[in-house]
Amino acid sequence: MSGLSFLQQGLSAGQAMGWMQLLLAFAIAQQSLEHLALGALGLRDRMIFVPRLVLCVVMGLGIGGAWPVWGLWGISLAMLWRYQGPYNGGSDKMTMLILSCLSLAHLAPSAFWQEMALSYLAVQLVLSYFVSGLVKVVNPEWRCGEALRDVFRFSAYPVSEGLRGLADHPRFLFVMGWAVILFELVFPLALLDPVALKLALLCAAGFHFSNACFFGLNRFFWIWLCAYPALIWFQDRIF
Amino acid sequence: MLHLFSLFLPTVIPSWRFFKTVAPSPRIEYRLIEAGRVEDWQEDRPRPGHLGLGQILRRMLWNPEWNEQLYLVSCSERLIDEPSQHSVDEINLRVARLLPAGQQELQFRLVFVSREQGQIVKLVEYESSPVSLITLQEAVG
Repeated sequence: MSGLSFLQQGLSAGQAMGWMQLLLAFAIAQQSLEHLALGALGLRDRMIFVPRLVLCVVMGLGIGGAWPVWGLWGISLAMLWRYQGPYNGGSDKMTMLILSCLSLAHLAPSAFWQEMALSYLAVQLVLSYFVSGLVKVVNPEWRCGEALRDVFRFSAYPVSEGLRGLADHPRFLFVMGWAVILFELVFPLALLDPVALKLALLCAAGFHFSNACFFGLNRFFWIWLCAYPALIWFQDRIF
Repeated sequence: MLHLFSLFLPTVIPSWRFFKTVAPSPRIEYRLIEAGRVEDWQEDRPRPGHLGLGQILRRMLWNPEWNEQLYLVSCSERLIDEPSQHSVDEINLRVARLLPAGQQELQFRLVFVSREQGQIVKLVEYESSPVSLITLQEAVG
């Protein structure tokens, strides 16, 4: 298969769900192991994270049909209660969103409702980029590059003090800020073509990778990848 | 049940407004108090001066301490927006777990850093009541 025909290929709903479950098994297992690594505090929550880990292995091996997905959804709900909200902000929200849509897709009484559940996830994934770009472009602080300087200057996210020095490169951050804003705003247009979508998803993964490097948001990188098969299916189904 | 629903709803109808504005950013500082003798405030888990490429790549797969630190940022913001004992307890426990065992009392405060008229300013917005360090460490295990 040539590179171009690979990029043009879509996914069936079943294939998309299969890929998502495989990627989720890895991403959620990674999150769970990180929790268990927090010494005694992690072990205190082992009633949550050991079953979560086991369900990931089961789901990754493709055993148990929908049950591991439903089990992981229930545990994510318990985590929301335990931490009184997301532990890891947007990445926990995305984890719950994917699990909710997958759970509903498995529960769906017909192919139509299964597609509705997957479509909802695909639309939310597009919105996660577009809305993010929209709220930035209407903010003068983002348009002039000052907001991204502030992220490096004093926010809690840069992983080292050395990275704060990037705040002293306003022209570089101005260009980077606009590159992010424009990419997020035009992302929905990638739905018009299967090859453009794959390339846009590659750029988006690169964006999450850089966020992981600069701001330590490694969980965002893995969990956003998990939702990509739903969008590849959606593009093929609708356009 | 209603509270659980209010926690669940934003996960399935997310706002996706990442970095809409760069809000004042919290830092946790703590001090130990022993028999009326009060130590200076210290920043909880200050970030390293520099991270090598290898460390950054390793953190793609393994970053538990940093993710806990991000959770503490969330707890700090929640403590100001919607004060709760849960946030106080989580901060106390997670600060205490990294300190050597001792008979002192632990107190933390939240310092919010922001930019105002071109200057970086720090504002203390919360100061906790001192609690026994050993009790916290026993609670952690």
